[in-house]
Amino acid sequence: MELILSTLINGLSLGGIYAMIALGYTMVYGIAKMLNFAHGDIIMVGGYVIYVFMAFHNPLLAILMAVVFCVLLGITIEKVAYKPLRGASPLAVLITAIGVSYLLQSLAQIIFGSANKMVTVYDFGSVKFLGVTVQVSALVTLAVTVVVMTALTLFVKYTRLGRAMIAVSEDKGAAQLMGINVDGIITITFAIGSALAALAGLFYLLKAPSISSTLGAMPGIKAFTAAVIGGIGSIPGAMLGGILLGVVESISYKITAIAPYTDAIEFSILIIILLVRPTGFLGKKRREKV
Amino acid sequence: MKFTKILALVLSVVLGLGMFAGCGSVNYAETNTEYVIGVSGPLTGGAAMYGVAVANSAQMAVDEINAAGGLNGVMFKLVATDDMHDPTKISTNYSSMYEGGMQVSLGTVTTAPGLEFKNLSADDNVFFLTPSASGDDIPANPNGYQMCFADGNQGKVAAEYVSANFSGQTIGVFYKSDDAYSKGIYDQFKANLDASVTVIETTFTDANTTDFATQIDTLKDCGFIFMPIYYTPASLFMMQAKDIVGASTVYYGCDGFDGIDNIEGFDITTIPQEVTMLSHFNSKATEGKSKEFIDKYVAAFGAETLNQFGASAYDCIYAIYGAMKNAIDSGKQIPVTISASDLCDILKAEFNGGYALSDAVTGDGSPITWESTGYVNKGAVKYVIKEAN
Amino acid sequence: MMNKLKAVRWNHYINYIVIGIFTLVFGIIALTGGRLNSSLLFLLEKIAISVILAVSLSLVVGFLGELSLGHAGFMCVGAYLGGKVSALLEPVIGSGVLNLLIALIIGAAIAAVCGVIIGIPALRLRGDYLAIVTLAFGEIVKSIFQNTSDESFGGALGLPTPRYDKQYLFIFAFLLVLLTLAVVQNFIRSKHGRAVTAIRDNEIAARACGINVTKYKLLAFTLSATFAGIAGVLYSFSNYTVQSAKFGYNYSIEILVMVVLGGMGSINGSIVAAALITFLNTKLATILTGDLAVLQNLLYAVILIVIVVYNNAPKLKPFRDRYNLGVLWNKFVRSRNPAHIKDDQAKWDVVPTKIEMNEVLSIDLVPQDKMEKRNNQSKGGDH
Repeated sequence: MELILSTLINGLSLGGIYAMIALGYTMVYGIAKMLNFAHGDIIMVGGYVIYVFMAFHNPLLAILMAVVFCVLLGITIEKVAYKPLRGASPLAVLITAIGVSYLLQSLAQIIFGSANKMVTVYDFGSVKFLGVTVQVSALVTLAVTVVVMTALTLFVKYTRLGRAMIAVSEDKGAAQLMGINVDGIITITFAIGSALAALAGLFYLLKAPSISSTLGAMPGIKAFTAAVIGGIGSIPGAMLGGILLGVVESISYKITAIAPYTDAIEFSILIIILLVRPTGFLGKKRREKV
Repeated sequence: MKFTKILALVLSVVLGLGMFAGCGSVNYAETNTEYVIGVSGPLTGGAAMYGVAVANSAQMAVDEINAAGGLNGVMFKLVATDDMHDPTKISTNYSSMYEGGMQVSLGTVTTAPGLEFKNLSADDNVFFLTPSASGDDIPANPNGYQMCFADGNQGKVAAEYVSANFSGQTIGVFYKSDDAYSKGIYDQFKANLDASVTVIETTFTDANTTDFATQIDTLKDCGFIFMPIYYTPASLFMMQAKDIVGASTVYYGCDGFDGIDNIEGFDITTIPQEVTMLSHFNSKATEGKSKEFIDKYVAAFGAETLNQFGASAYDCIYAIYGAMKNAIDSGKQIPVTISASDLCDILKAEFNGGYALSDAVTGDGSPITWESTGYVNKGAVKYVIKEAN
Repeated sequence: MMNKLKAVRWNHYINYIVIGIFTLVFGIIALTGGRLNSSLLFLLEKIAISVILAVSLSLVVGFLGELSLGHAGFMCVGAYLGGKVSALLEPVIGSGVLNLLIALIIGAAIAAVCGVIIGIPALRLRGDYLAIVTLAFGEIVKSIFQNTSDESFGGALGLPTPRYDKQYLFIFAFLLVLLTLAVVQNFIRSKHGRAVTAIRDNEIAARACGINVTKYKLLAFTLSATFAGIAGVLYSFSNYTVQSAKFGYNYSIEILVMVVLGGMGSINGSIVAAALITFLNTKLATILTGDLAVLQNLLYAVILIVIVVYNNAPKLKPFRDRYNLGVLWNKFVRSRNPAHIKDDQAKWDVVPTKIEMNEVLSIDLVPQDKMEKRNNQSKGGDH
């Protein structure tokens, strides 16, 4: 029982981070219809910004700066690299995104060097919970993710801006005709996604106070996997996929015989789910029109 | 279409020119004016700390030897190339050094690239004495020797220690299943462990993993945790586990732990548990040759990259120098333009014939010798990096 | 007209000829006992492997129009299986040509099977979804080989493989490049190739035309995987150990970069880009050391972004039409030889194959300017 509980809690907290990243992926994909491969690397940038501003020993300032910087970075990337390609083939956009991802990684490596940097943002300590020692940071991560997901869902459903987002995601041309500023909406989407990535970077640092230029690479890919499993474009889907992936990873690492194959298992689940349900769990089916 | 055609032609001309440069002689050292020693290591990338330490220390030893007049008036020159810990870079690095006149080598700094290097150098019969590529297979060919302990040996020594002290108890192991170094040690550890010891093992795969909550949870009740991994994941594990694992737990590591008390932003004294490592070099030494080396190194390059890799490289240079000096004293000719293959035969004869390096920085103070298999004979030091609180 | 046709044919064979001459020159030197520098030999082997990988990936990315981020996974399968077979056969038949051929056939066959397996999701998925599935496939393959037991595939320590004599291996490597080219180019220029490009341009329209989409997608994937497998076997022969860490998605992306920089849908471009990037990678690695080494990655990233944006941005289209390489080349030729004037026929070479469905309804397969001319003529006839 204790074993199950502790595995579950670890899985949930890891899943919380994946979900946070996946939310960003899903927002951008749902509205801009592009796979922002560089999303994972924005997490890394957020982490480094926190590292830099922790020189002032003020966690709140560091977090704020990370969010602001990542939002500005996200908007810049969108304007410089992705906007000119609106209307071009999805392949070209995806390859550009890969280029941006490499650019961010190598820039970080040039600025901060290749060795891991250590920075402790805030030590929450740990609590005993039903006989299991739990890192408080894990609970914070999970709580914040749930709050953010709920807020995003409500925002998209009930505000003017949110409904404009839905409109853009349904049909860009029609949205434009209805007087919606499509470019503006896409920029806002990127800003939100990047802010979420900055938060994910923070959660990584809360869990383990170490950062390197490749921090975001694997989590980015896994979070995208999570978004696809949950149904890309769907906000609760991203949450579901992220949590699912986190729990699977946690369980798999627990079982000695299959632990080395954890990555393979996670990706196999992705392939199987896509074969059975090509749009993921909560994704909407789209009929291709001629 | 036209453009690509032109490019293709330009490219073939460029390569064609390379070809004419390529038809050279076999002894690339014939224009040497110094003895050239080559080494390939990660000077950039995640493992840069090791490569930089080796390059710095080897250069320090070379400078010292040259300042003292070299070998009968002939100076030494060190050529260090960057492999970023990537085996696929070795063929380029090796051939550029070999064709640049390399006569003897320190091999590679890390194991994975070393698996490629050992065979390439065997083809040309180039002697190498690696400071830190500890894979069991590295000295498999007659031209390869190690200055560090082989992984299997480290695993065996650790298993003996655990069998003697933890008979009938349960211990934990945290290793990286897809890493040659980690798996090499752990396999031998398992093979040599007393059957009465129960092992709980846990692993991780992605090198960028920073979150070890699940692994810590698996090992939280163990009083002794063996960690045949490098210091970065080890330090992260310790930081996250400090409240979860019992305060009297002992973390026991191999030479990969070296440098764990030197990480910027990680204060090892905040960890309540004991941290112990088994190595051939004590970076906390307060006396003797090791202390001398530490002082010199810190004065020249700072404490950030001080570790056993560097100390070992320092010894390697002196071992090669000493063996060459021995050979000359016993009447052999080593001209400055000697081919790598001829020098290799001379050095092999010395190392297999009982050559001993005394006064070394690594080891426990007794002279270091080599077996004809290429493995090193020297004393290990087990030392406590940090006592339990 | 006849001259024009001949010119087109010549264009078709130029890459065989260049590579053939190249192989011949170096081959003769090696076979007649002239020892070549090992750094040159290693470079040649690497270039051959890159070219095979780039050409085979270009089949899927450039002609089928699907993004594959798992090409290194197929190569990994070929390298491990081929390497294992040749290591097993070495005590029996030595490490000669026969061993090489058997390893090549087995490695390629198993990679082809993997291609079929990964081609099946490709039938149901498109675009980004497929990209992530291929990426997942590559990571799965890498993870499995990384954790095999020491006896089977070497696991973390890597699989030791016999290395073929480096004085001769590059000849085989270049012969395999020629084989790859022959198969891929003939495939593309056949009716199968046209079917594949039709699927790329509009899958539904292609289906409506009676093209068996399932068959052609699977065929393209399998063919591409087969040659990646061959590249893998070559890799195992040119190295003493096969270590799975190499075959991560970073390597897949490196191959993709070659295809993209070479120009999607251009085989010759892929060849040149693959050779150039491999050449630069090796040369820069020995020139740039220390912190400068990172600049190389930065440079690639910037070049990739700039080239893709320049080539694809809809707003830059007029600019592209005025300043592309073809136009500059024609200007250059004309400035040298004013009498050299091409007729409109040449334009047919650059008519884009991508036709949107809504354009199909209105397009008349007569170039605009001719149409106007004709209209003017008919108007003139009225008067």
